[in-house]
Amino acid sequence: MKVSYNLLKSFVSFDLEPMEFAWALTSIGIETSVISNTCNWPNVVTAKILDINKHPQADKLSLCKVSDGTKEYTIVCGAKNISVGQVVPLAKVGAVLPNNFQIKKSKIRGIESEGMLCSKKELGISKESEGIYILDDKTKIGSTLESVLGDSDSIFDIEITPNRGDVLSHLGVAREIGAKLKKIVTIPKIKTFNVSGLNCVQVKSNLCLRYIGGVISDIKVGESPKWVKDILEKSGIRSINNIVDITNYVMLELGQPLHAFDLEKLSSKNIVVRAANESEKITALDGKEYSLSSDMLVIADDKQPVAIAGVMGGQYSGIDVSTQTVFLESAIFDSVSIRKTSRKLNLSSDSSYRFERGLSWDIAETAFWRAVNLISDIAGGKIEAREDLQNVKREKTSIALRINRVFKVLGYKINEDEIIEILRYLGIDLESKGEVIFCTVPSWRNDIKEEVDLVEEIVRIKGYDTIPLQSKQAAYSSTLNESFIGNTVENFRVKLNGLGFNEALNCSFCEIKELEKFGLQYSYKIMNPVSKENEVLRPSLLPGLYKNLMLNISQCAESVTLFEFGKVFNELGEKKNFSLIAYGRVWQEWWKWEEQKISPKYDFYFGGGVIKNILSEDFVIVQNLTPAKYYHIGKTASIIYRGQVIGQVGILSPSINEDLKDEIFYCQMDIDAIEKDKNSKVIRYKSFSKLPLVRRDISVIADKSLPFNEIESIIKGVMKSNGILRNYSLFSVYTDEAKIGKGKISYSLRLLYRDDNKTLTDAEVNKDMIHLLEKLDKNLQVKLRD
Amino acid sequence: MNNIESIIKEAILQIKEADLKAIESIKVKYSGKSGVLTQILKSLSNCSVDDKKRIGQEANKAKNIIETEIELRKEALKKEILEEKMQKEKLDYSNKFYFPFTKGSFHPIIQTIQDISSVFKSLGFSIAQGPEIETNWYNFEALNIPQNHPARDVQDTFYLVGMKELLRTHTSPGQIHVMETQKPPIRVIVPGKVYRNEASDATHSATFHQVEGLSVDENITFVDLKAVLSDFTHEFFGTDVDIRFRPSYFQFTEPSAEVDMQCIFCKGKGCRICKNSGWIELLGCGMVHPNVLKAVNYDSEKYTGYAFGIGVERIAMFKYGIDDIRLFYENDLRFLKQF
Repeated sequence: MKVSYNLLKSFVSFDLEPMEFAWALTSIGIETSVISNTCNWPNVVTAKILDINKHPQADKLSLCKVSDGTKEYTIVCGAKNISVGQVVPLAKVGAVLPNNFQIKKSKIRGIESEGMLCSKKELGISKESEGIYILDDKTKIGSTLESVLGDSDSIFDIEITPNRGDVLSHLGVAREIGAKLKKIVTIPKIKTFNVSGLNCVQVKSNLCLRYIGGVISDIKVGESPKWVKDILEKSGIRSINNIVDITNYVMLELGQPLHAFDLEKLSSKNIVVRAANESEKITALDGKEYSLSSDMLVIADDKQPVAIAGVMGGQYSGIDVSTQTVFLESAIFDSVSIRKTSRKLNLSSDSSYRFERGLSWDIAETAFWRAVNLISDIAGGKIEAREDLQNVKREKTSIALRINRVFKVLGYKINEDEIIEILRYLGIDLESKGEVIFCTVPSWRNDIKEEVDLVEEIVRIKGYDTIPLQSKQAAYSSTLNESFIGNTVENFRVKLNGLGFNEALNCSFCEIKELEKFGLQYSYKIMNPVSKENEVLRPSLLPGLYKNLMLNISQCAESVTLFEFGKVFNELGEKKNFSLIAYGRVWQEWWKWEEQKISPKYDFYFGGGVIKNILSEDFVIVQNLTPAKYYHIGKTASIIYRGQVIGQVGILSPSINEDLKDEIFYCQMDIDAIEKDKNSKVIRYKSFSKLPLVRRDISVIADKSLPFNEIESIIKGVMKSNGILRNYSLFSVYTDEAKIGKGKISYSLRLLYRDDNKTLTDAEVNKDMIHLLEKLDKNLQVKLRD
Repeated sequence: MNNIESIIKEAILQIKEADLKAIESIKVKYSGKSGVLTQILKSLSNCSVDDKKRIGQEANKAKNIIETEIELRKEALKKEILEEKMQKEKLDYSNKFYFPFTKGSFHPIIQTIQDISSVFKSLGFSIAQGPEIETNWYNFEALNIPQNHPARDVQDTFYLVGMKELLRTHTSPGQIHVMETQKPPIRVIVPGKVYRNEASDATHSATFHQVEGLSVDENITFVDLKAVLSDFTHEFFGTDVDIRFRPSYFQFTEPSAEVDMQCIFCKGKGCRICKNSGWIELLGCGMVHPNVLKAVNYDSEKYTGYAFGIGVERIAMFKYGIDDIRLFYENDLRFLKQF
C-alpha cells in the first residue's frame, strides 16, 4: 500500500525525514520503503525544447536542443510525445533520479547526450507513464523541478503482515507512528446528521455483521478536485469521477472500503444483503461477468445483484454523469467469507484486500459520515435517509495483563509506567490494579486477542533494539555427535567423495511420463501442482539422477558420478533412500598412460566394486532374484544387510537409452532398513603376526554358469577352518574357450598364507592349497588349470 | 711426537683433496694393517714404559682423528654425488601434476545444513527430523494457523490426492513432533526439505530447505533468543557482522521477529545484493505462542520457549555468491565440482 507523507502529517504531527520515517515504521514491524521522494530531484530543471532532429544513426531516437534559459543542451531522446516549444523536466549531468539512477554524460549511438528528458515514471511521480512529462507551456524555464511542481511530498510503500489490516490506511499508519513517537493522532472533523431511517434495506445473511446505508440526493457527478486526484494517483488508484473518487479517498484515509451506486438504476428501491443464488451472474465494474455460488454474499435489488459484497460493484448500477441519487454503503462483512469469494472468483480489489484482513466496527460509521461530508462539499449532495443494521452485538475485547508475565516472556524489565504509556498511545483503554493491568482493546485492533499479544505490543513499540544482548555461549555444553544425515549415509558420502563422486540434490517431484521409461509406479499424486513437473512425488531417486546424468552428458562430460540422499515416496511410504549413478570412464586421460593404457569404464564390475568398497562387512552382494524393471536383467545384484535385502545394484536396461555409448551403473539402498537395525557392530581389534607372508597364485577352471561367489564361499570356509589361509584376491579372468574348453571360465586367484606362531614351510602351504583345491573340485567341479 | 702431529696434518690435507676412490687408499695408508700409524704402534714394543704409554696414546688419538675425518669426508662426498645424480634426474614440475581421478564434491545445500547444524550443536542443540508428508494438524493447526486464515495465502501448499495429507510448507511441524515426544527442557534443531506450491524462478523453488530451531523450558525468554541467534550469526558469518531484530508476524510465535544481518558483501554500505539497504533478511523467529504449547499439552504458564526458522538456500546463496536458486537442483557437474 502506498501512503503520502503529507496526508499522514494531517493526522499526526511529526518531523522525521522520509528515510527516518521509513525506518521508524519498519522498526515497529511495518515494513516501509520510500518509493519516491518527490521533494528532492537534484539537478533536474525545467527546460524548453528549441529544436528536434532525427538522430543520424538511429531511426527511433531524436536529437533535441533544449534551453534552461542560460545554456543550451543537446539531448538524445527516444520519446515520441515531444514537440518544439514544450517545457519539460531536464535531468542534467549529475542528477540522481529515484532508484539511484545517476545521470552521466554518455554517448548514445555516437552522439553525446548532455542529460536526459524525464518521464513521470523516471521521476518517481507515477508507477507507469508514457513519454516525457510535458509541463505547462507557461512554466518558467530554468527553475528547479520541485519549485515548479510545488508539491513536496514523499510516497512510501507499506507492506503489512497478514494480521495488521488496521494499518491499511493513512489513519492506520498515523496511529502506528503516533504510538512510536508518543504523539496524539487526530482525524478530520466530521459532521453527522440526524436523518430518517431507510426502510428498504434488509440483511438476510449473518455474513454481514454491520450494514450502514444512506441515500444522498441532488449530487452532481463530475471531475474530482486536484487534491483528491493527487492522493489517488499517489496511491495508484485511477480517478473515475468525484463520487467514486471520494469513496476511494475515504478508504485510503480511514481504511474502510465504501461502495456507492446509482439508486435510480436499480429495478426496485429495495436493497437486500443476501447469499448469492447458485450460478447467479453479475457483470462487475471490471467489465467481466462472474458466476456466483451460494456461499458468496451479494447486495441485490429485487431482480439482480448490484455488487459482490466487499469485492466489487456491479457495472449496471455504477455511478456515471447522469447519476443524481447515490446509495452509499459502509459495511462490515465476514472476513473469511470475503476471502473465499475473492479466491474462488480469482478477483481481488482494494476493498476485498481490506475486508479479508478485518475492519474496525467503529470506523465503519466514521467513514460513512466522512464520505457524506466530502460528497456534500464536492458534489453538492444531501443526505436524505440512513440505516445502520447490526447483525451481532459488538463486544469489546478485554484482557488482563500481568506485569510479571511481561518479564517472563521478554526476560528483561520494563517498568509499569512505561508499559502503561505505550499501551495508552496504542489507543488501549486501561485500568491498573496492583500487578495487573486491565486493558480494553480499540475496535480496530482485531489482532490483539490475549495477554501475549499485549506483551508483543509493548516490546514492539519499545523497540527490539532495547532487548539486551547477552551472549551465553560459554554456558552451552555440546551434545551428541549427531548429524541430520545419519551415520550410515555420512560414511557413504565421505567415502564416495574420496572416490570422486559428486553429491546431487534433486526436487522431490516427477512427471508421470518420466516414470514410465523406468517402469516405476508412483504412489503419491499432487492434487494442485503448479506444473507437470510437480505431478507426483518421486518413488525413486533414479528419475532425478538420470536427468542430471543426461544434462551432464549433453554438456560433454566424459564421466558422470553422482550420488543423492533423500526421501522417496513409494508403496512403503516416505523412505530415506541413498542412490548412486555412474557413467563413462573411471579415469580421465593421463599423459603417462601413453605407457600404461588402462582406462576402465563404470561397468557392472567397476561400479559394483565401488559399492563394495563403501559398504561395511555387514553387507553382502548376492544374486538379484527380483530385479527392478529398470535394470539389465543379466547385470544386476542385490545388496543384503544382515539378512535383509536393502538395495540393488546393476546396469540400467539398454531400453532406457539406446543412444549412449557406455552403460549406466545405478545403485539404490533403503536407508531406513539399515538404520532400523540399531545394533551396530563394535569393531574389535585382532592382533596380527609379524611372521612372513607366503603368496601363491593359482588358476582354476569353472563352468561359466557358476556364480563366482560360490567359489569365494569355499575359500572363506577354508580360511575360517584352518587359520593359515589369510586372504585371497581375484586378479585375472580368462574366457578364451578355445584354450580352456567350451562353457568354461578361468579365474586366477592369489592366495596369501601366514601362521601367527612360526614361519610356514612350502610343504605346509602346499598341503593347505591342495586341501582347498580338493574342496573346490568336490563341491563345485572347479579344477586347477595346468 | 712432532712426527705424529705432522702425520695428522699431512693426512687431513690428503683427505680434503680425496675423492671416494682415493679416500679408501688414504684409510689403508694411515690406519690399515700396515699403515703408518699401525707401524708406529707396532714399533712401540722397543720403547720405555713411559714412551709406550705416551706415544701409544698419541698414535691412537691420531688414528681416531684421521678415521673421523675420513668418515666425514666420505659422507660429504656421498651427499655430493647424490645431489649430482638428483640434479640429472630433475623433472618438470610446472604443469604435469595431473591426477586422472577427478575429485568428488559435497552438495552446497547439504554442506550448508551441516555447517549450520554444527554451529547449533556447539550451542547445545541436538538434531531431530520429521516427515515431509504432513497432516493439516502438524503443518497448520497445532501451529496456531487456523483454516481460512489469510496467512495460509502466503504458504501455498501442495496437497496429496485422495488423502488428507500435504507436503510440509516449513520445518515448523518438527516443533510439534519434538514436543509431543519429549518433555522440557527442549533444545533442538530440525533441518529438512520443505515444499511450496509456486512457480520456480531465480529466487523461488518449489522444493527448498530450512533449519527449524526450538528451545522450551521454564525460563526461556526473548533475551535468550536474541543471544542464541546473535551467537549463531557471529559463529557462522564472523564476529564483525551486525544483526538487528525487527517485529514481524508468524502465527506460531508471539512476539515475532525478523532478523536482518548486515550485508556481508558491502559491509552495510549498500549494494545491489542488499538492494542498497545495507541489510539482508536472515531468518524469522519469536517466542513460542502459548496456543502452540497448549496444542502439545504443555503448561503455557510454566513453560516458555523460542523458535526460529532459517532458509538454507538463502544462506548458501549469500555465502557462495550464487544468484540463481535453480542451480542447486540442476546438478551440473561444473557447478557441483566447485564445492
